[in-house]
Formats: sequence, C-alpha cells, structure tokens
Amino acid sequence: MKREWILEKNHISYWLRQLRKDRDLVGPLRNEGKDVVFMTVEQIHEVVLDLPASLPSPKEFLFPQYESMLRFNVSGKVPVAGPGAKTVSPGACVECSREGDLLDLADRRRRLVFGVRSCDVSAVRLLDRFFLEGFRDPYYEQRRKNILFVSIVCNNPDPTCFCIGLGTGPYLEEGFDIQLTDLGDRYFVQASSAEGIRTVKDMSFLFRRPRKADLDDQYEVFLSAKARFHKRISLESSRRAILEGRVKDSFWRRVTERCFECGGCVYECPLCTCFTVADRRYPDAVERIRLWDTCLFKGFTRMAGGILPNGKRMLRTKRWFYHKLVHYPEVFDEFGCVGCGRCAVTCPGRIDMATIATEMKGLDLDGSEQRP
Amino acid sequence: MTRSSSGNVYVPFGGKVEVVIPQARDISLFRVKTEAPLDYAPGQFFMVSLWGAGEVPISVASLSRDDAVVDLCIRRAGAVTGALHALEAGDTVWLRGPYGNGFPLDTSRGRDVVLVAGGIGLAPLRPLIEWFMENPGDAGRVTLLYGAKSPGEIVFRDEMEQWRDRGIEVLVTVDRAEGGWEGRTGLVTGLWQELRSDLQQATAYICGPEVMIRAAMGELFLLGMPEERIITTLEAHMKCGVGKCGHCYAGPRYICTDGPVFSYREVKSYGLFLSR
Ligand SMILES: Cc1cc2nc3c(=O)[nH]c(=O)nc-3n(C[C@H](O)[C@H](O)[C@H](O)COP(=O)(O)OP(=O)(O)OC[C@H]3O[C@@H](n4cnc5c(N)ncnc54)[C@H](O)[C@@H]3O)c2cc1C
Ligand code: SF4
Ligand code: SF4
Repeated sequence: MKREWILEKNHISYWLRQLRKDRDLVGPLRNEGKDVVFMTVEQIHEVVLDLPASLPSPKEFLFPQYESMLRFNVSGKVPVAGPGAKTVSPGACVECSREGDLLDLADRRRRLVFGVRSCDVSAVRLLDRFFLEGFRDPYYEQRRKNILFVSIVCNNPDPTCFCIGLGTGPYLEEGFDIQLTDLGDRYFVQASSAEGIRTVKDMSFLFRRPRKADLDDQYEVFLSAKARFHKRISLESSRRAILEGRVKDSFWRRVTERCFECGGCVYECPLCTCFTVADRRYPDAVERIRLWDTCLFKGFTRMAGGILPNGKRMLRTKRWFYHKLVHYPEVFDEFGCVGCGRCAVTCPGRIDMATIATEMKGLDLDGSEQRP
Repeated sequence: MTRSSSGNVYVPFGGKVEVVIPQARDISLFRVKTEAPLDYAPGQFFMVSLWGAGEVPISVASLSRDDAVVDLCIRRAGAVTGALHALEAGDTVWLRGPYGNGFPLDTSRGRDVVLVAGGIGLAPLRPLIEWFMENPGDAGRVTLLYGAKSPGEIVFRDEMEQWRDRGIEVLVTVDRAEGGWEGRTGLVTGLWQELRSDLQQATAYICGPEVMIRAAMGELFLLGMPEERIITTLEAHMKCGVGKCGHCYAGPRYICTDGPVFSYREVKSYGLFLSR
C-alpha cells in the first residue's frame, strides 16, 4: 500500500506546526557549533531544509545514549527527580513491596522525526528485528510504537554514501512512513505505513493529487540521484572473501594499527546496539540505567577476575566487521550495514566499511595484498 | 517461567533469602523463596540483583520441584557478588529469568554420564546430580569427577556422602593437599582412567574455569567421545541475559540466549571459547 500527493513548499511550516500539536517534533537544526543535528524543534523556522546527506543517526530517539529503565523508590514515596534525572513520562507502578515501589520508566512520548534519510529508515527496519524478535526490548518498543519518520530522498548523496549497492537508499519503494522528494518548489509526498497515510490524510486540504509533470519530475530526481554516487561497494564480495578464508588475521592486525579506539564508528553507526547496564543511586531511590557501550573497548567482555576474552585489539576490530558482514546476514538475511557512510566521516583511521571492503577486494587468494 | 507483571523483561521480582549455607571461602549457597512458583531447568540461570549494586547472571544450583525455591551458589568475585554476600536470611534479593537453554538431558538418556567439574563449577551441575538421583532409570552409571584447588575450596562437601549413597560415583581431587587431606591430588583431567564407563558411549557434562573446560573437552574427544555428547556451559560477561546488550556475543551466537550450554561441536564450529 502506497499513496502519493504533492505538498507545496510554502505549506511545509504550516504542516509541521500542525504535526507538532500532538507530538514532539524532532528535526535537523543547526547547533552552536553550526553542525546540523537532530534535536527537538522549538522554532519551526529553524528547521534546516537544505540538509546535507549525512547527519548524525536518529537512532538516539529509539535507543538513546543514556536511558533510565527502572526506578526503585527506597522510601516507597512518589519519585523525586534526583540530580541528573531525565524527564521521562511517568511509568505505571509495576511491582510493589514493603521496601518500595518499582517504576517502569519506558519513554512513551509521541515523536515525529523530520528529515531522516532512506538509509536511516532502512536501519530502523533492521533495528526492529533486532530489538523485537526473540525477547522484546520494552524500551525500544515503547519509543518505536510512538514514533513517525518523515524521510527525504537524497538528490545529492555525499561522497561517503554507498546505500545504492545495498538497496537501502537513496529512495525507498516501501517500508517507510512518509517519504518526501524535493522537486524544487514542491515536495512529492509518499506514505506507506498505515500511520503515515493517516497522518497525511488528517490534513488532506494541504495536499493535492500528483499530475503527470510531478511524476516525471520525481522520476528525474530518482535517476539523477542514482547517477551521483561515487562509491560502488559490494559487501557481498567482502562476505565471500571472509568465508573463503582470504581475509587473514594479518589483515585485521594491519587494519587495527590505525584504530585509535575512540569508539566513534560505533556511536555513529545506526545499527550498533551494544549497551551496558548500571545502577545509579539517589538519596531516596535507585535508577537502573543503560548506556551505549562498545565492543571495540577493551573492558567490554571483561569478566570477574580480570579475564579479558577479547583482550587483543585485532580481535575486536575483526568482531565488529564479522558481526556486520557475516553474522547479520546469517541471522537476518541482510547486512548489518546500510551504507550511510557515517563511519567514514567519523573514523580518524580510515577503518570504515567502504574502505575495508575496498581493501579486502585487493587481497589475493592466499590473503596477501596484491601489488599494483 | 519468566514472571513479570508488566511484560517488561527487565523488571525483576523479589525473593526472600531463606537460608545462607557457607560452602568454602568466599562461596555460599543462598536458598531463595519467591511468591509465585518457579519453573527452571538444569543449566539455566537467573539475572540476580540488588538495587544500587547491579545485576549478575547466576546459574540455578538446585532442581526445580514446582515450588517457589531456587538455590544460588555464589562466589564473591567483585562488586555485585560482594554485595550479595552480605545477604542474610530474611533479606530481599531480586531475580529475573530463568534464561538460557539448559542441559540437553536427551543426550544422556540411557547412557553412562560423566560429570566433570572444577571449583564452583560444581554448582550448575548439582541440579543434574539431583535429577539423576531422583530419576535413576534416566541414565546408566553416573560419575562425578570433581577438582578443587585445595580441600578448603571443595563445595557441597556435606552432600557428597548422600550422593554416593544414592548411586552417584564421586571422585574428588585437589591441586594442593592441605590439612591432612588423604584423597587424590592432581588435575581433574587426570582421572579418566579411573572411570568405569565406556567413554565412546557416554555423555559428559562439564563446568568449571575455561582452561579446565577446554582441556576436558579436548581430551574426552581424543578418548573417543563424540563431540555432540561432550557438553559444557560457558560463561561470558552479560548485562541483559536476553540477547540485546551484546556483551556475550561470540561468533554468531549469544551465550545468554543460544547457550549457555553448548556441545563441543558448537564450541568448535562457532569459535565460542572466549580466550583466544
Ligand atoms: C551464565 C552464567 C552463569 C553464572 N553462574 C554463576 C554462579 O552460579 N555462581 C557464581 O558465583 N558466578 C556465576 N557466574 C559468574 C558471575 O556472573 C560473575 O562472577 C559476576 O558477574 C561478577 O560480578 P561482580 O560485580 O561481582 O564482579 P566485578 O568484577 O566487580 O565486575 C562486575 C562486572 O562489571 C564489569 N566491570 C567491572 N569493572 C569494570 C571495568 N573497569 N571495565 C569494564 N567492565 C567492568 C565486569 O564486566 C564484570 O563482569 C555466572 C556467569 C554466567 C555468564
Ligand atoms: S557500518 Fe558504517 S556505513 Fe554501514 S551503517 Fe554503520 S556507520 Fe553506516
Ligand atoms: S572510528 Fe575508527 S578509530 Fe575510532 S574506534 Fe572506530 S574504527 Fe577505531
């Protein structure tokens, strides 16, 4: 099911203002450092419409860097916000005992995230599978149930983007909520999910039916977007190189020499999901929180008694790439990478998916590097 | 049974410590009683927590008897296990689970069983011992090979006589003889020749430090035991127990949800030994 409309550009602020009435509006805004990042929008006119292709991933709104999960009130009274406590919507008391009350702090706020890219929508489809298959992660689930994404077709991909080889961008045929294509003075609007269609229809007076000229223009944007990609990366050939044993540990050792262990790739990647759990104490309560963690950090697998399973740096680099290139396809039938190129923008050591895939292509059958 | 009134897998439920039975230096058995009945299997584990200290995975050390009791045998290893050791009878402890796959009892049905344990690794095998004692027809001859560093570090010492009386062969060895120890000394893997079972036909369940697991699995394989019947339970750093936090991810498997029990075949083909 997919529905199509046209929205004149001078209607967009009005539309966003209406959408904001019953949900938080998150969109690309310029911060003090002049970087464009996703933030909750206070002033509609500050939303950046001519955005660059690569912005920080919006995964923060489904799986935030810091999230309070549960709150245990020692005194058994209503929670008092302690230092650093986040404003989460109050949860129901899920369990009571004489020692105190336990509150579920899952964030159920309604949000609309405007201006994400196709690769991000594709990443969310995979995050859904990861967080909701098997045991359902309730914190992700509550946020996901209450979020709507308005994505924008990339008519000018960055040099680091390689979604085209993965089918995760620059535009999507299905699986999005609302997708906008910039046609200059107007947006071509497509809605695919039931919630997306309903949201457009709620304000149908702002939209009109697309005409032949609109369809032609959209087709042209799609074509020219596809032609603008610098990178043609085949992760399938990387996967095969690994499975055929051409990628030896010596390769990972060489790569790892360039790693600063900053964790930037993991924080930027829309598909990296590792976290740690900790208890924070307040005078009258304890909060069980979770925080992003990184398989690239030495202490990640540390066990009691100081045993360090992945103590060697090379093993950690290898694990990151194996997870995305070999294990993801095994479990989900898709790569754990949507080609957004953020790791390439972030990594000071050029240890990004596209570069590594390209370097693997240069490996001989015996694993040695080909001499040019 | 994963009990959680809210449907939130991270919400623990409270239990009362009924009794604390010291086992060895820094190791105690905590018998925990919960309100609702518990249903768990040998080889599974609970995420055990105290508010303000944190959560850790602990294996079930008792056989589930459709009541609301579980034994947890805990070694003081750091922050959380240290806090758990301060618990006394009547205190509240928080649990969620049970998690993990558990031991595949089908693998040993009608066969001789060799249980190989090192140190506190005997705790996760104790429910198996209780199972074989209470269901004598389920397996053939059951032998426990147990190794501890020193006589003072032997756990469940008080129960071993009872195990022997009820048909389990128990062979104990220590690395260092102390305090008038007259039993065996040496590694637990030195006891194969004392076994009266045909290893090619038997099933082994192994738990202990990873070096011991590694040696025992390799040697049993060389002695002719098929890899699918050499079974162990692995340990890894875990923060969630439900396959999300990523810490126990090894090869394409999560130790918490795909394991923690694996056969030697799985351990080898997925590269599950953590220390490489
Ligand atoms: C399936 C399973 C079953 C288990 N069963 C039992 C059992 O029956 N009995 C038993 O005694 N034990 C058992 N364990 C082991 C037990 O879970 C650990 O001993 C326990 O987690 C140690 O926690 P701690 O807080 O006491 O130790 P700590 O050493 O204080 O550490 C707690 C955790 O926090 C992390 N941590 C601490 N400091 C750092 C740092 N500087 N950097 C990074 N990370 C850090 C570590 O990863 C560590 O695992 C089991 C483990 C597993 C996986
Ligand atoms: S691995 Fe790199 S390119 Fe792929 S999704 Fe993650 S950040 Fe984007
Ligand atoms: S961004 Fe690059 S340098 Fe930083 S941890 Fe990732 S791979 Fe290493």
